[in-house]
Amino acid sequence: MPLLEVKNLSVLYGKEKALENVSFSVDKGETIAVIGPNGSGKTTLLRALIGALPSKGEITIEKGVTMGYVPQKLDVERNLPLTGGEFLNLAQRKKLQSNFNVAYSAKEIIRMVGLPLSHLQKSLSAFSSGEFQRLLMGFALKTRPSLLLFDEPTASVDVGGQETIYDLLHRLQDKEQFTTLLVSHDLTTVYRYATKVLCLNKVQICFGVPQEVLTPQELENLYGGGQRFYHHLHE
Amino acid sequence: MIESISLLQLIAAALVGIAGGLLGSFALLRRMALVGDALSHVALPGLALGLLFHFNVFFGALAFLLFGTTVIWAIEHRTRIPVDTLVGVLFVVALALGSLLSPEEELLEALFGNIAAVSLAQTLWGIVLASAVISVLIFIKSRLTLSIVSGDLAQTAKLRPHFLEFLFLTLFALVTAIGIQFAGALLMGSLIIIPAAVSRNLTQSMAAYATLSAMLGGLGTVAGVLFAGYFNLSPGPTFILLLGSLFFLSLFFRRT
Repeated sequence: MPLLEVKNLSVLYGKEKALENVSFSVDKGETIAVIGPNGSGKTTLLRALIGALPSKGEITIEKGVTMGYVPQKLDVERNLPLTGGEFLNLAQRKKLQSNFNVAYSAKEIIRMVGLPLSHLQKSLSAFSSGEFQRLLMGFALKTRPSLLLFDEPTASVDVGGQETIYDLLHRLQDKEQFTTLLVSHDLTTVYRYATKVLCLNKVQICFGVPQEVLTPQELENLYGGGQRFYHHLHE
Repeated sequence: MIESISLLQLIAAALVGIAGGLLGSFALLRRMALVGDALSHVALPGLALGLLFHFNVFFGALAFLLFGTTVIWAIEHRTRIPVDTLVGVLFVVALALGSLLSPEEELLEALFGNIAAVSLAQTLWGIVLASAVISVLIFIKSRLTLSIVSGDLAQTAKLRPHFLEFLFLTLFALVTAIGIQFAGALLMGSLIIIPAAVSRNLTQSMAAYATLSAMLGGLGTVAGVLFAGYFNLSPGPTFILLLGSLFFLSLFFRRT
């Protein structure tokens, strides 16, 4: 039985269809990349899966599976009077924690995502974009979820020469053994890390192993005349 | 302007100030400074009805405020209408309605409050309710903060962000309904916004921010009342001028 199975999922924003008839399944240990142009429903899909948006269709989650979510950004601007440590400790209800495996402490998480311990006392406004993304990932992993939903920001926030957020994700996945569903804007990453790829453009364009389904024709269907991507493919 | 103020009234004012400051720290995180301020005006028609028909103005104010907060909540979640626009219109209409309804000699009191005129029963009510609001806010602070900074993260943490938001708006209505008798409809909003605005300039952590905001609310109201008594001024505007000048001072010490 798959960890997560989605059948004919549709999401409406008012009368506008944001997502239509999407079906796919995720097995334990997989890394599924969700790709598609801007406004194609990638974030909508993740938000429907966590139950933040009403949707039609079937979402079946295997019993005992817990989800962690890494959003692109917060609902409010980041210049908050809130420290890294305080952020990681938000909403740690005891009742909730007993449902999870033992959760990590804020200190352990900061180390895991490769930030200096001083960031526990640092205000969120003083985090760089890359550091903040790591903190968001840390928040999601604190309760040791079995399925991680990762929404990558459109612009890359990694600093050249350092471990990228994907390297970090990969490293943590090896350690924590979680299954990943990630929105990606970088096809190189998809080829390197994804076991399967889901192409969206409000409707589902393809689903399968990247090397098989990401044909130049499919990419053109997805992005429309993707010269850029031919180039990527032959790299 | 001011008659003698009892110790009990002073305690009630301090607690309302603390509740307002604490509530304000969350309201500012939610970026509802202006909506919050406008919202406090919606109490005016309720207050006026209470004055006209001689029932407890607290209940009149609360009824209208609960209506106002429910409207905000519904607009935010059920429709895609920009909240600011509708809130702006709705609440100025409430203000106009309230000022027409209020008996002229009591209009000033409704708008600016008069702590010395608050009855013993209302003072006790104020103490109990303000303490209750403070306790609830302390109890839900982490959950509330998470649902404000990210509704989606609150959702994955199995919280109910929409419910928390509604609870917060209800607490907002309660504090305003209590405080309005002390500070008046026009000034109540400032009791919620200014301490948090000052505190935000001076702090970097949530714990420090909320604590300082609550303290400034409490100390500010007491200082405002005492200062006003000493110089024979009206306490509401005195409080605002005191904390308002603190805000401008705090701009020079910004931490974030």
